[in-house]
Amino acid sequence: MTYDVYMHFPVLAIMALFVGAFLVTLSGKREVLRNIIAGAAVLIALTLLALLIKPVMVDGEIITYWMGNWEPVNGYAIGIALEVDALSLFFGLLVAIAVACSCFYSFQYIRQDDARGGYFTLYLMLAGGVMGIVLSGDLFNIYVMLEVMTFAAVGLTAFRTWNPNAREAAFKYLVVGSIGSSCVLLGTALVYAQCHTLNLAQISALIPGRMNPTMVLAFALLFTGFGCKSFMFPFHPIAADAHGAAPSSVSVLISGVFTKTGVYGIIRVSYFLFRSMGLTSMQTGLVFIGCVSMFVCVTMALNQHDFKRLLAFHSISQIGYILTSLGLCTALGIAGGLYHAINHTLFKGLLFLTAGAVLYATGTTYLEKLGGLARKMPQTAALFLIGAFSISGIPPFNGFYSKWMIYQATFEKASETGSIGYALVTVVCVVTSVLTLASFIKVGQSVFFGQMPLEYENVKETPLSMRIPMWIMAALCVFTGVAPNIMINYVIGPATGAVLNFPGYIDAAMGEGYAAATITDTGYLAEPRLLTIGAWNPVNWLLLFVVVLAAVFLVSILGKRDRGEVNCAPDSKHAVFFGGEESQYSHVASGDLFWGFKHNLRGYLGFMSKAHSGVTNDYVLWGVTALAVIILYCFAFM
Amino acid sequence: MMLANYIGAVALVVIGFYAMVMKRDIIKIVVGMGLVDYGLNLMIVSVGFNEGGTAPIYTFGELTSGMYFVDPIPQALTLTSIVIGACVTAMALALCVRLYKEYGTLDAHEIRRLHG
Repeated sequence: MTYDVYMHFPVLAIMALFVGAFLVTLSGKREVLRNIIAGAAVLIALTLLALLIKPVMVDGEIITYWMGNWEPVNGYAIGIALEVDALSLFFGLLVAIAVACSCFYSFQYIRQDDARGGYFTLYLMLAGGVMGIVLSGDLFNIYVMLEVMTFAAVGLTAFRTWNPNAREAAFKYLVVGSIGSSCVLLGTALVYAQCHTLNLAQISALIPGRMNPTMVLAFALLFTGFGCKSFMFPFHPIAADAHGAAPSSVSVLISGVFTKTGVYGIIRVSYFLFRSMGLTSMQTGLVFIGCVSMFVCVTMALNQHDFKRLLAFHSISQIGYILTSLGLCTALGIAGGLYHAINHTLFKGLLFLTAGAVLYATGTTYLEKLGGLARKMPQTAALFLIGAFSISGIPPFNGFYSKWMIYQATFEKASETGSIGYALVTVVCVVTSVLTLASFIKVGQSVFFGQMPLEYENVKETPLSMRIPMWIMAALCVFTGVAPNIMINYVIGPATGAVLNFPGYIDAAMGEGYAAATITDTGYLAEPRLLTIGAWNPVNWLLLFVVVLAAVFLVSILGKRDRGEVNCAPDSKHAVFFGGEESQYSHVASGDLFWGFKHNLRGYLGFMSKAHSGVTNDYVLWGVTALAVIILYCFAFM
Repeated sequence: MMLANYIGAVALVVIGFYAMVMKRDIIKIVVGMGLVDYGLNLMIVSVGFNEGGTAPIYTFGELTSGMYFVDPIPQALTLTSIVIGACVTAMALALCVRLYKEYGTLDAHEIRRLHG
C-alpha cells in the first residue's frame, strides 16, 4: 500500500463537518468566530477530498477504511467500512463544492434572520450527513446518515421564522420523507436477514446467488426509499414546498446535494448490489419514472408564480433527466447522467443563489411583483442569465453538453433495441428542454427585464461576499461547458468506470480474489465505451446558433410590413400599443407571457394544479401508491 | 413463533400507513408515523432471533464455536432505529405545535397554503 496517508482522508472529511457543527454551537453569539469555524470546516472537507483526486480518479485506487480497524475475519465483514471509489469521490466532490459555495454565501445572506446560531449547526450536520452517505461502505450507516441529513434539512426548512409557509413545508417534508426512510430501513433489515452482513461489498458479492422473493422485496423497498430522497415523480410536491420555504442557501443544498444522495443510492442499489439494471424491465421502469418526473415537473413549473417554487420544479425535472439517462444502462447513458448530475448541482445552485440575492435585495420572490431589476442589479442579472442558459442547454454552457449526451444515449438505445419507445424518450427530453427555456424566459422577463415597479428605486446590488460564491459557480458552469474533454477524462470517465467495476469494489474491501470466488457471472455489462463521446464541440454549436439567430433576425426585419394584426382584449393593461396613462408603467408580467400556450393547455394544467392539492394525506397516498406499484412491478418482472 | 412477529410487524406498518393516508388530524398522522416505525423495529429484532438462543454477551475467552445465541447486530440496529424514531416523533410534534399556533387548526385539509 503506497497510499497509506490517503486512507484517513475520507473519515476526516466527514469528521471535519460534524466537529465543525459541534464547535459552531459553542461559539454562541460571536459571529466572526462562528463564521471562521464554519468556513474552516467546509474548506477542510473540500481540500481533503480534492487531495483524493490523484489516487482515486487518476490512479484508479479504491480506498477502504475500517472504522476502529475491524477488518473482515474469515470472509465476514463485521466492522463498519468507509469505501471510496471514483463514483463515491465524484459525488463527494460535488457535495463539497456546493456546500462550500453556499456556506460562504450564507454568512451575509442569513443576517436577515433571527436564531442565527442554530443555522450553521444544522447546515454542517446536513453537509456531514450527505458526505457520510456518499463515502460510506455500509448499508445501515447509510440509513443513519440519511436520517441525520433529513433531520437537518427539515430543521433548516422550518428555520425562517418570518416565512409564514415554512412550518407547513417542513411538516409535509418530514411526513412524506419518513416513507422513504422507512423503506430504506426495512430494505436494509431484509438484506441483512438474507446475507447476514451490512457491508456493501460483501452484499454485492453474495446477492446474485440468493435472489428470492425476499430480496426482490428488499430491492423494491431500497429503490423506492432512495427514489423518495431524490424526489422522483410521485414524491416531487414536497420538494417544491421545501425549496420554496427554506432560505436560498439551503435550497442549494436540498436541490443540488440532497437529491444527489438519492441518485447515488439508486446507482449503488441497482447497479452495484442487485445488479438488476441488466434486465430490460428495470431499464424501462427507471426510464419511465425519469420521463414522467421530467415532463410533469416542467409543466408544473410553467404554472408557478413564485421564483423559488418554479426553480424547485425545474430541479426535479432535471433529476428526471439524470434518472432517464441512468436507466439506459449503457456507458454513454451513465456518463451522461453523471455529467448532468454535476451540471445540475452547479447551475441549480447558481440559480437558487440568484433567487436568494433577489429576495435579499427586494424582500420578495413573487414574480408578478418584480421587474426591471437588471438596471439595479446588473451582476445578479448576468449571473442569472448564465444559470438560465446552462439549464436550458444553450452552448457553450454546461447544460448543452450533458443534455446532448443524454439525447445521443437515448437515441443510440433506440437504434440498438429498435424500440420506438426510446425514440419517444428522446423527443420528451427535447420538448422538456424547450419548455425549460420557455419558463426561464418568463422568469428573466418578469424579474430582471421590462418595467421596474416604483418601489424598487432604492434597491442595491448584493454585497460582494454574496457575489463571489455566485461568480465561482458561474465560472464552474462555463468551465464544465467549454472543457468537456477534461471533465470526461478526469472525472466522468473514472466515475462511469467505477459504476461498472463492481468486482474491483468487492476485492478492495474483502481482499483480493473474493469477487472471483463468489461471482460467476461478471459479464452483465459490457466494457465502458467512452470513445464515442466528444464528437461534437460546443464552440461550433455556438457559431451555428449565432448564424441561425442572425437569420431569424433578418427574416423578422424583412417581414415587418406583412405582420399580422394583434387582437387584444379591451383591457387597459394589454392595450400598450395604443398608449394612455395606464400603460406607462405596465409591465409584461409572468402571467402574461405564454398565456396563449397556457390557455390552450388549460385542461391539463388545471388538472395538475388541482392534483397538487397541498394536503399532506394526498401526498402520503401518492407515496404509498408508488411504493405498492414499484413492489408489484418488481415482483412481476424480476 | 416468529411468524406471529412478522404478521404483527406488517400489521403495524399497514395500520400506520392507513393512519397517515386517511386521518385528517395531523397529530394522528404523527401517530401513524410512529406505528410504522414500531412495526419496522419489531421486524428487525425478529430477524435476528434464534429459537432457544441465549443473550449475546461473552468475552473472547469464553467464545467457542459451538455456542448458540441470538444475533446481536439486529438488536443494535433496533436500538439505533428506536432513537431515530423518537427524534422524528419529537420533531413532528414540535412542528404540530407551531402549526396549531399559526393556522389555528390541526386539520390537514386546511393546512394547505402551499399548493398548485
